[in-house]
Amino acid sequence: MEDLILKLKKEIIDQLQMEGIAPEDLDAEAPLFGEGGVGLDSIDVLELVVLLDRNYGMKIRAPKEEGPKIFYSIKTIAEYILDQQKK
Amino acid sequence: MKFTLIYPKWKKLRGQTEFHLPPHGPVVFAATLPRDMEIAFIDENLETIDFNDQADLVGISMMLTSQVKRGWEIADEYRKRGVKAICGGIATMLHSEETSLHADAIFLGEAEGRMEQVLNDFRNNRLRKVYDYLTDFPPIASVGMARRDILKRQLYNYKGIQMVDLFHASRGCRFDCYPCCMSFVGGREFRPRPIKKVVEELTAIDNNRLYIVDNSLSQDMAWEKQLFAEMIPLKKKWCCHPIDDHDEVLDLAAQAGAWFVYQAIFDTSDFIRNRVKRYHDFGIGVEGTILLGLDHHTEDDIHRLIDFLLEIELDVAEFTVLTPFPHTRAFADLHGEGRILSYDWNDYTCDQVVFQPKQMSPERLQDLYDEAWKIFYRDKPQAYRMFELFKRVIDKEMVDGSFQGQQRTQKNRKFGRVKL
Repeated sequence: MEDLILKLKKEIIDQLQMEGIAPEDLDAEAPLFGEGGVGLDSIDVLELVVLLDRNYGMKIRAPKEEGPKIFYSIKTIAEYILDQQKK
Repeated sequence: MKFTLIYPKWKKLRGQTEFHLPPHGPVVFAATLPRDMEIAFIDENLETIDFNDQADLVGISMMLTSQVKRGWEIADEYRKRGVKAICGGIATMLHSEETSLHADAIFLGEAEGRMEQVLNDFRNNRLRKVYDYLTDFPPIASVGMARRDILKRQLYNYKGIQMVDLFHASRGCRFDCYPCCMSFVGGREFRPRPIKKVVEELTAIDNNRLYIVDNSLSQDMAWEKQLFAEMIPLKKKWCCHPIDDHDEVLDLAAQAGAWFVYQAIFDTSDFIRNRVKRYHDFGIGVEGTILLGLDHHTEDDIHRLIDFLLEIELDVAEFTVLTPFPHTRAFADLHGEGRILSYDWNDYTCDQVVFQPKQMSPERLQDLYDEAWKIFYRDKPQAYRMFELFKRVIDKEMVDGSFQGQQRTQKNRKFGRVKL
């Protein structure tokens, strides 16, 4: 899990071009949206969906229901990936 | 002759993600100026004004009440430098007397076919204080193709995504809604533009995503059906104000690229529930503009309204507080009853309570307004809901092959809060 979280952090920083941010600067449990969290916007979510599809073959099939839970934090994304890989 | 056209900045809605769309009024107005005139357009929300820009004449285009005080400051600054300033636009019409104190001339009404005269007067140093065409509408067929070439398009690009372009297919509104000033500025007669001209202009817009800003498309069903039918081959995707609730109309709208509709919501009626459902049934999203603070709204009503929005699966919500803009029925009532607490037009941003509500204190309504944003976006944050709405348009574009993707060179471009 820790390895996956670190990998995800690097990929997110790269995909979203978060200049000047190191993996250790990102709190894996912090909310991705809203003030006080990572502060991602709608275009960033789109980038994350593309990232999950490209790097992990993950299709967010029913974003309306599961999306906000998957994209709550980097940790929840990692949990989702592991969960999908078990299936 | 250099004409500097300025769109003053204003304070954006608190609680809402900041975004900037290319303004519509200035580009429609610019189409009424001679083609060979040098026009320098400044959107102050995104650019800084250079008051020493050697302008021969300055035009200040104001749409919102919350722009007027800044517009007056800009006019004053130019006039101090000996440059004449003319003000126009919806907010100039709403605040004409105050605006005329700050401008060499104010233009009231629609400008098609009238600017030659104004410019002649300027050249001959006989500019009139007021050009009043408020109820004298020019022929609708004289509305030309908006001059989007005056825009600096890269300013309206967010992380490589080009913001929607604004477009209008008609003027006037046969409705006279309580908080709205449109019947005053555009008249109550629906004036659709000739479909041929509409299609010509739509075809020429270098953007697949549009915001059709007409007051309501639901005014003449035969015209509406023809409009949508003609739009189908263009493969544009667009948002707009209400569409008629009719199977054929909604089906044509969906085929023509209806992406989402901006729907006013002020109660928990079955009418609203069905309206939203019907749009969804045809694959059209709904952004609700939720008006809080009407005289019958109690605290319980407002809480119930927020629950209702979640229950009907509204895609995105924009909360506003009733704001009594001049020349509306709301203003006439609240002003007449002595219930307006602030006449500072900078407070008229739709997120501040500027009147005495009937059912609660102004402070309580203000708190409920802030709560509304928090409760609606608690489980599904605003960024995520906007992503879903955005995904909706991408999916439609993927189906008809019109998807153009992100402009990678603009990927680092962001908007930021402009300090006011």
